[in-house]
Amino acid sequence: MRHGMRIIAVVLFLFALSLSGCAQVVTPVEGESWLERLHRPFDETSMGKSSGVYGPAAPMPSEWPLPHPALQLSNEFTGQSTTLHGSDLYRFKCQGCHGAFGTGAPPEINSVIDPVRATSARMYIERMKKVGMDVASKDAVPLAGQAEAMLLDRLHKGGTDMPSPNPYLTNAEVRSLFAYLRQLAGIPGAEKRQVPVVEPPLRVGEHIVKSTCHICHASVGPNPSPRELSEGQIPPLSRLTTRLSLNEFVTKVTVGTPVLEGSPAMPARGHMPVFTYLTPDEAADAYLYLSLYPPRN
Amino acid sequence: MKFTALLVVLLLSCLNAFAGTLSGTVKATRQSAVVLETVPAKAFPAPTQTAAMNQQGMKFMPALLVIQQGTTVVFSNDDNVPHNVFWPSISGNKKLSHNVGTFNKGKTLNFKYENAGNVPLLCNIHSEMVGTIVVSPSPYFAETDAAGNYTIKDVPDGTYKATAWDNGKATTVPVTVKGDTKLDFAPAK
Repeated sequence: MRHGMRIIAVVLFLFALSLSGCAQVVTPVEGESWLERLHRPFDETSMGKSSGVYGPAAPMPSEWPLPHPALQLSNEFTGQSTTLHGSDLYRFKCQGCHGAFGTGAPPEINSVIDPVRATSARMYIERMKKVGMDVASKDAVPLAGQAEAMLLDRLHKGGTDMPSPNPYLTNAEVRSLFAYLRQLAGIPGAEKRQVPVVEPPLRVGEHIVKSTCHICHASVGPNPSPRELSEGQIPPLSRLTTRLSLNEFVTKVTVGTPVLEGSPAMPARGHMPVFTYLTPDEAADAYLYLSLYPPRN
Repeated sequence: MKFTALLVVLLLSCLNAFAGTLSGTVKATRQSAVVLETVPAKAFPAPTQTAAMNQQGMKFMPALLVIQQGTTVVFSNDDNVPHNVFWPSISGNKKLSHNVGTFNKGKTLNFKYENAGNVPLLCNIHSEMVGTIVVSPSPYFAETDAAGNYTIKDVPDGTYKATAWDNGKATTVPVTVKGDTKLDFAPAK
């Protein structure tokens, strides 16, 4: 009897797994940063040029509120899975480059708005009508279908300059992210069709590290000296959890802290943007992930 | 042998005597195309050479491409984003709408234009992208220069319908070509 129940439980589990698409498999972050792969120095990127877009510069010690801001993780940070929306996945995976409104930083980073709008036949017909072009519904519907297929493919595989959204998104995550992208692009009614997903903290941390931190930080490597930092070198992810406590890491990510740069070493604002759109819980998830899944070469 | 060569030279000079250059000005809002249709209409063999239309920097390049009916156009994408190529009509005829496809950088798409007329090119992903292909029913066509001047060489003497395409609008007038001939077009209404 007990054996029969176990079989039923396994069958139900596999059924649930098949419904949710691919299972979430957490893996360590690997290899060189995305900027290294593209051979682009950080200072020449839109992120490097305009850290203000991605949050304020780190406050200098004299500007810090006293006492030093303590880590304020919420009561919900218990290691339990949380319900995320597409807007959360967008923050973890897209916002670092495409910005809060999806407009990107053309010509370096393209806007996501136009490709998403193209997935709505009705919206396309209306937009073309405004510029004097009459597009028939019989033409617009298959065009929208084609645009959606291209966009979903891009969300799964990435593009020429856009990293694949590693870790590979599950079908449920893609549905959730796509639903939010349609809302962001202003497609009528999209806000009513949002799709939540349940994610464990390690998966949240993996999303943030692989899709935001790994754009600039390589997975492993030597820690730069203060002089090398001033010359634009970026510390590897593997050293972050050994150099910084959880409290320091979360503060660095969400509020910003100065770094020692130059020769002789002096406190400086540093190059790293402050990610004000990440919560302390989420930054802690990234720390947890880096600690339990050490970056690999 | 000498006689044959002489005959060829005489024949060519006779042909030249019955062909001329049609030239003039099109008062247009932008670069436009002038195409000729023979009267009565006559079919011409399709060209064997292809033409190229590129999507680069979020633009169709060139913005205007004039080709002979039957030409195959090779579309390419030089941008790091997917593009689409379609047209909602040819000379306003919605039955001739066509979606060539959506494709990534490095890929090409081909289409053979069997119908003459004005083809407004669009990319449904980037609605600001607009290009034009004008398909000429004959091998006698030209694009205007920056000042609106055009020149069509080696037009056989005869009667034609001459059409100037300006931003999707056609101005058609009859013209009799006899040697070098001038024809100006008023702005399209």
